[in-house]
Amino acid sequence: MQQRSLNPPVFHILLALADGSLHGLGIADRIDALTRGAVDLGPGTLYRSLKEMAEMGLIREAAPPDSDADPRRKYYAITAQGRRAVAAEAASLERLVQAARDRKLLPERA
Amino acid sequence: MPAGPPARDGEEDDERKAGLHDRVFRLLLRLYPRSFREEYGDEMTRYFLERLTRAREQRKRQAVISLWARTALDLVRTAAAERGSPSGRHEPTTGAHPMSAFLQDLRYAARRLRNTPLFTISAIAILAVGIGLNASVFSLVDTAIFRPPPFTNAEEIVHIYQDSDDGDPSSTSYPEYREMAEVTDVFAGVAATSSGSATWEGADSPRQVSIEFATASYFPVLGLRPVRGRWFDAEHDQVGAEMVAVVSHRAWRTLMGEVPDAVGRTIRLNNQPVTIIGVGPTDFNGEAGALVTDFWLSISSTPVGGPFRVANLERRQDHWYQVKARLAPGVTVERARAAMDALARGLAEAYPELNEGRGITVFAFDEVRFHPAADAGIFRANVGLFAVAALVLLLACTNLANLLLVRGISRGPEMAVREALGAGRKRVVRLFLLEALLLSAIGGGAGLAVAAWSVRFVPLLPIPTPGGGLDVSFDHRVAIFGLLLTLATGLIFGLLPALRSSRTDVAAVLRDEGVGRSAGRRASVFRAGLVAVQVAVSVVLIVGAGLLARSLANAQRVDAGVDVGRIAVVGTNLPQGGVTGPEVPSVTAALLERVEAMPGVERAAITTRLPVQPGGTTTQIVEGYEPRVGTGSVELPFAYVSRGYFETMGIRVVAGRTFALHDRPETPRVIVVNETAASLYWGGDALGGRIRSQGSQGAWVDVVGVVADVKVNDLREAPTPMIYYSADQSPVGVFSIVARTAGEPAALAGALRSVMRDVRPSLPVTRQLHLDAHVGNGLAGLRAATALMGGFSLLALMLAGLGVYAVVSFAVERRTQEMGIRVALGAPRSRIVGMIVGQSLVMVAVGLAAGLWLAVLAMRGLEGMLFGVGAVDEVTFAGAAVLLLLAAATAAFVPAQRAARANPVEVLRSH
Repeated sequence: MQQRSLNPPVFHILLALADGSLHGLGIADRIDALTRGAVDLGPGTLYRSLKEMAEMGLIREAAPPDSDADPRRKYYAITAQGRRAVAAEAASLERLVQAARDRKLLPERA
Repeated sequence: MPAGPPARDGEEDDERKAGLHDRVFRLLLRLYPRSFREEYGDEMTRYFLERLTRAREQRKRQAVISLWARTALDLVRTAAAERGSPSGRHEPTTGAHPMSAFLQDLRYAARRLRNTPLFTISAIAILAVGIGLNASVFSLVDTAIFRPPPFTNAEEIVHIYQDSDDGDPSSTSYPEYREMAEVTDVFAGVAATSSGSATWEGADSPRQVSIEFATASYFPVLGLRPVRGRWFDAEHDQVGAEMVAVVSHRAWRTLMGEVPDAVGRTIRLNNQPVTIIGVGPTDFNGEAGALVTDFWLSISSTPVGGPFRVANLERRQDHWYQVKARLAPGVTVERARAAMDALARGLAEAYPELNEGRGITVFAFDEVRFHPAADAGIFRANVGLFAVAALVLLLACTNLANLLLVRGISRGPEMAVREALGAGRKRVVRLFLLEALLLSAIGGGAGLAVAAWSVRFVPLLPIPTPGGGLDVSFDHRVAIFGLLLTLATGLIFGLLPALRSSRTDVAAVLRDEGVGRSAGRRASVFRAGLVAVQVAVSVVLIVGAGLLARSLANAQRVDAGVDVGRIAVVGTNLPQGGVTGPEVPSVTAALLERVEAMPGVERAAITTRLPVQPGGTTTQIVEGYEPRVGTGSVELPFAYVSRGYFETMGIRVVAGRTFALHDRPETPRVIVVNETAASLYWGGDALGGRIRSQGSQGAWVDVVGVVADVKVNDLREAPTPMIYYSADQSPVGVFSIVARTAGEPAALAGALRSVMRDVRPSLPVTRQLHLDAHVGNGLAGLRAATALMGGFSLLALMLAGLGVYAVVSFAVERRTQEMGIRVALGAPRSRIVGMIVGQSLVMVAVGLAAGLWLAVLAMRGLEGMLFGVGAVDEVTFAGAAVLLLLAAATAAFVPAQRAARANPVEVLRSH
C-alpha cells in the first residue's frame, strides 16, 4: 500500500489535515486555499476518500477541536501513518520536481 | 436575463428552494450503498448545502447550475466506484474482478434489449423524439435567454436608454448619442445601433435581409473583432464617406456561400452600392437573440435606409438608436448613472420642448438581455415553450417506466432465481438500471443526432421573422444539456421500476405463487392514474391542434376576392432607382406598357397595396355620415391603383365605373369604394357620395364606382371598408406591378424583373412573387402554431397510447391464469378481448373526461387565434375524444388478444 503513490484527493486531504483536525467543509476550504482554487472536491469524492482513508488508517475520526464546534459534524484528524504517507509522497514529488529542474523544465527557485 | 433577479422574494422562498435542493440531493444519494449512505449521507448533504449557499451568494444562476452539474457527476461517478469496491458490495463475487461483473451485466442488458426488438426500438424512438425535441427547444431557448454573449469583459458594458414620452427606458436619438459619447471621463467608448431591413439584390432574386446601422465604436465597445477584414473606422461615422458593411458570419455562410473573397465585394442594398469590408465573428450574429443580423452598416451607409434615415441623424425628436457603452477603467455603474443624470438635466435645459422630464437610464450589463421593456415577455414565452417540451419528455419517461415495469414483471421468476442463486438485490437493481441507461444512452444519442441534424431546418420553419434568419446552432452547450437530460432520463425511468420490481418475494415466486399478488393493488391504481393524466394532457393538446387546424382550413377557404391563382407580382421603388418628380408617370407608363406586351400577360396594373396586406389608413370625413363616436371622421384603408387594376385582379364592379383614361392629374379627383364602405356610409348607394380628408378644407372627392370587397388586411377579417385612389391622377413612386397571366404566373416572375431592368437598369426589385403565395404568407403565424401544436399533440397521443398498452399488458400478464381458466371454461376469445379492452377504457374515460373539461378552460386562451370555429367546438371536442378512444382501444387490443390466444392447457399447467 505504501509503495503506491497516493491519489491526488487523498494527498490533498492529508495535507489539509496536517495542521489540525477539520470537518468536511473545513477540509474543502483548506484545500481550496492550498491550491488557490485549482482543486474542488465534490461531496462524493471527498467522503468516499475519507472513508477509504479511515479504513487504511491514514486518518481517524476526532473530537471537535473546541466547544464552539457544531456537535453534529464529524471531525477528522491525521494519524501517524497518515503523516508518514503524506511525507513519503511529498518526498517523492520533491524528487520529481528536482528531476524537472535538473532538466531546466522549471525555473530555479530562490 | 442571465442573472436571476436579486432574491428579494424573502427568506421563506429561499428556504423552500433549499428544501427542494436538499430533497434532490438526498434522492441522488440513493445511488450509494445503504451502509455508505447511513454513515456519510447527512454529512454530505450538509457539505453540499453549504456550498450551495455560497454559490447562491454570488447571485449568479450559472454558479448554482454549475455546482449542481459538477456535484451530480461526482455523485454518479463515486457511487459507481463505491458499489464496485470490495467494501461496498455485500454479495459474494465469483472471484471475478468487479469490472468484469459490470461488463457481464452490460452484455446481458444488451442481449436482453436485442431479444425484444419491438420494445427496444419503440423505447429508443420515444427517447430520441423526447430528448431531440428538448435539445432543439433548448438550443432556441438558450440563444434567447441563457447563453452569455461573447463580449470581452462584459461586466464593463452598460446599456443606456433615453426615456420614451411615457417615461420608460426606451431608445436614444442620434444627436444625443453623440453627446453621451463625449462623456469620456466615464466611458471608454459609447456605441449606437439601429436595426432595420433592406432589399438585397443577390445573384438571382431580391430578398429581404436584416441590417443594423452601427457606429465605428460598436465592436470595440463589445470587445469583438471580425474574423476577416476589418470593422468600421471613425471616418465611416460621417455621411459622405464610403458606404461600407460588415457581413455577419452566419449571413456570410448562408447568403454568400462562404465565398473567400467576400471582403472587398460591392453589393447592392436597396439599390445602393455598399462595399463589404469584413466578416463578423463566428459566435456573434447580432443582439436580437435567435434573429440574425445579416449586415452591419456604417453610419456613412445610412442612405441605404432612405433620405429620412439620413435626416434622422440630426433630429433630436426621433429616437431610433440603442446605446451601449464600456465603462472607463475603475468607473462604477453608479458613476455612469450620475454622469448620465447630469447629461439628462443639461439636455432638458438646452431643449426643454423635447427633453423636459426625459431621463437617461443606465443599466448594468446583467440587468438587460434584449430591452428592459421586452425581457420579461421574452423570458415567459421561452420558459413556456421549454415547459411544454419538458412536459412531453416527462410523459415519455413515465411511459418508459411503465414499459420497463411490464418487462420487469415478466422477468419476476428470472430475477427470483438469480437472487436465490446469490445475486444480491443490488446486482438485480443494477441490471435494470443498466438496461435503462443503455436505452437512454442510445435514445439520447439518436435524439441529439436528430437535434443536430434538424437545427438546419429551423430557418425553414414558417416562423415569421423580419428579414434575416434564425440563429440556432447545435453547440457544446446543447450537447451537454442533451447528455445531462439523457442521464437524468435513464435514472428516472430505470430506477423506479428497478426498485419496485426487485422487491420481489423470492420464496413466493419460486413457490409458484405468481408475482401478481405481491405487486399490489395500490401500485396498479397509481399506474392507471398515470395513464389517465397522460390521456388528459393529450386531449387538451389534440383539441388545441384540432381547433387551430380547423381555423387554418377555414382561413384557407376564404375567398380573398381576387384571382389569386393567375397574378404575378413584382415590386419596385422608383425614387430609390433615381426616378423622381415628372419622370414618375412616364416611367410607370413605360413599365406597364412593356409588361402588357409580354407574351402570356393579359393585363397589368400597379397598386400601392396588395390585397391581404396590413397597412395604414387615411382619416376622412364622409359627407352626410356621422360616426357614433369620435371626431366625426373615419379611418379608411386605402390604395392607389392604376387604370385596369380591378380588371387585372378580377375584382367585380358592382356599380358605376372604375378609373378611366379621362381621369387625369388635372381633372377633379375621383375614388372607387368597396361594397362594405358603400353600405356602411351611404346605405349601399355610394355613387355621387363625397369624402374629404380631415384637415383639408373644401376639396371634396367624388365616388364614381363601387367594387366588390377584397380582403384588406387579413383573410380572417370581417368585411372592411376600403377606398381606391387613382394612381393616374396622383402618381406614386413605390408600388407593385400586378400582371394577370394566361398560364402559370410563377414562370413570369423572372421575366417581369428583366423587363423592369430594360426600362431603367437602376430600378430595384423590392419583391417578386405569386399572389397566391402572398395571400398564403398572411397565414404564416397560424400555420406555424398549428404545426407546432399538431406535432406536440401527435407525440402526446402516441405516448398516451403507449401508456395504455403498457398498463394493459401489465394487467393481462397478471391475469394469465384467470384468462386460461375462462378459455378452458368455454368463454369465446372475442369476449375475453372485449372484456379486457372495455376494462382498460375505464381509465381512459376518466382521463378523457378530465381532459375535455381542462380543454374547455384552456381553449379560452387560444380564442384570439381561432377563425370560424368556437373555442368550445363540439365537432373538434368529439373528434378528439373519438381519436383518443380509438387510439386507446387499439393500444389495449394488442395485449388483450395476446392474452386471449393463450393456450389454456399450457397456462394452467405452468402455474
